[in-house]
Amino acid sequence: MTGDSWGRALAQLPYLVHVLLLGAAMTVQVTAGGFVVAIVLGLVFAVLKTAPARILRVFATAYAEIFRGVPVLTQLFLIYFGLANIGIKLEPVPAAIVGFGINGGAYLTEVFRAGIEAIHGGQLEGASAIGMTRATAMWYVVLPQAVRVVLPPLGNFAIGLLKDTSIASAVAAPELSFRARTLVDQTFLSTQIYLMVAVLYLAMSLPLSRVVRALEARMGRGHVA
Amino acid sequence: MTVAAYYAGLWRLLQVWMPQLLVAAGGTLRMTALAFIVAATVGLGLALARLSRYAALSRFAVFYIEIVRGTPALTQLFLIYFGLTAVGLTLQAFQAAVVGLGLNGAAYLAEVYRAGIQAIHRGQREAAQAIGMTHGLVMRFIILPQAVRIILPPMANYTISLLKDTSVASLISAPELMLRARDLSSEYFRPMNLYVIAGLMYLAMAYPLSRAVRAMEARLSQGR
Repeated sequence: MTGDSWGRALAQLPYLVHVLLLGAAMTVQVTAGGFVVAIVLGLVFAVLKTAPARILRVFATAYAEIFRGVPVLTQLFLIYFGLANIGIKLEPVPAAIVGFGINGGAYLTEVFRAGIEAIHGGQLEGASAIGMTRATAMWYVVLPQAVRVVLPPLGNFAIGLLKDTSIASAVAAPELSFRARTLVDQTFLSTQIYLMVAVLYLAMSLPLSRVVRALEARMGRGHVA
Repeated sequence: MTVAAYYAGLWRLLQVWMPQLLVAAGGTLRMTALAFIVAATVGLGLALARLSRYAALSRFAVFYIEIVRGTPALTQLFLIYFGLTAVGLTLQAFQAAVVGLGLNGAAYLAEVYRAGIQAIHRGQREAAQAIGMTHGLVMRFIILPQAVRIILPPMANYTISLLKDTSVASLISAPELMLRARDLSSEYFRPMNLYVIAGLMYLAMAYPLSRAVRAMEARLSQGR
């Protein structure tokens, strides 16, 4: 029985690989989409979190704490099933991108805040002394320097996100894990298919983590904190 | 339907839902605790293997850590739950979740342990060896007790993520909070209500933990 199933998997290999590669391409898209949304939200809320007005800081803190304290699966279900329940119907892929974006934005708020705070306060003061507004100083003086501090954790976030998108299969987004489940339902070759899925995730995440490590080594060099 | 009638209806439903959700949250906590024990134990073994003088052991540990950290926990759960069944080894969903999340966490904690062990100055080891302690004794009585201080905060942070990650076990139908919320929402067709409640319950478990970790971090970094 077992030997037979490996033979069957081998016979169907081109088909399995084809479907799984389609899924992997969607995984990359969901990751990229979620990443962009998360960066935008993270930046906005990090700036709010370091704002002079207390109400803005409280608002940004509440966002970061709430969305980091709740599982991303719960957030995806809220966005996909919950919103549909009150009349806002999103397709699975946009729902997943929005969900991972909002969830990731909460993490990146903290990452970006740390990056902004790592830039010496004298920089902001200097910029305002030469007549820049706070927003201009943020955009032209602080954020460009904060990028250096922020890049390695940002890279690690991307790797985590890539793997987390597997959860989008639960809202039927046709990414790698979802394609795998449909294939398993068709062929019953669960061991073989999930092993192939693991290999495909590795093929995407290992190069990414090499890049991040190189980045960390590079950014750590000659940095005077 | 008026607002008052809506909330009266919701209140009645809550009286049905809450006992079930609280029981399920107990499952979440139990799963977290058991997976943590697996992760902490296997992780320590992996860290020691990784730092071992024997190249084969060390290579195996690196291999395990890279593979496990490079693939989603969900894929690992599916492999353990569905994959092992296909080769004749059947685990219950809850057991599969504990084993899967535990073996997944072990790879993360192995790196946490390693960082902690390596942060202890090598002079400590050399001094202990100079007075005749063996490798095992040095680890047990000199290095690990000091490394604990460095290891505790990231370990606690891991526990918080684990608590949230147990929600993924609902996808292999392991009995915990998210599965109950999903079952109730298909029974009552109130996903918005139920997932908000589930979210609040996770928050109620995770937020105090994360406050405690921050307090611990502040305390442990004092006087270093």
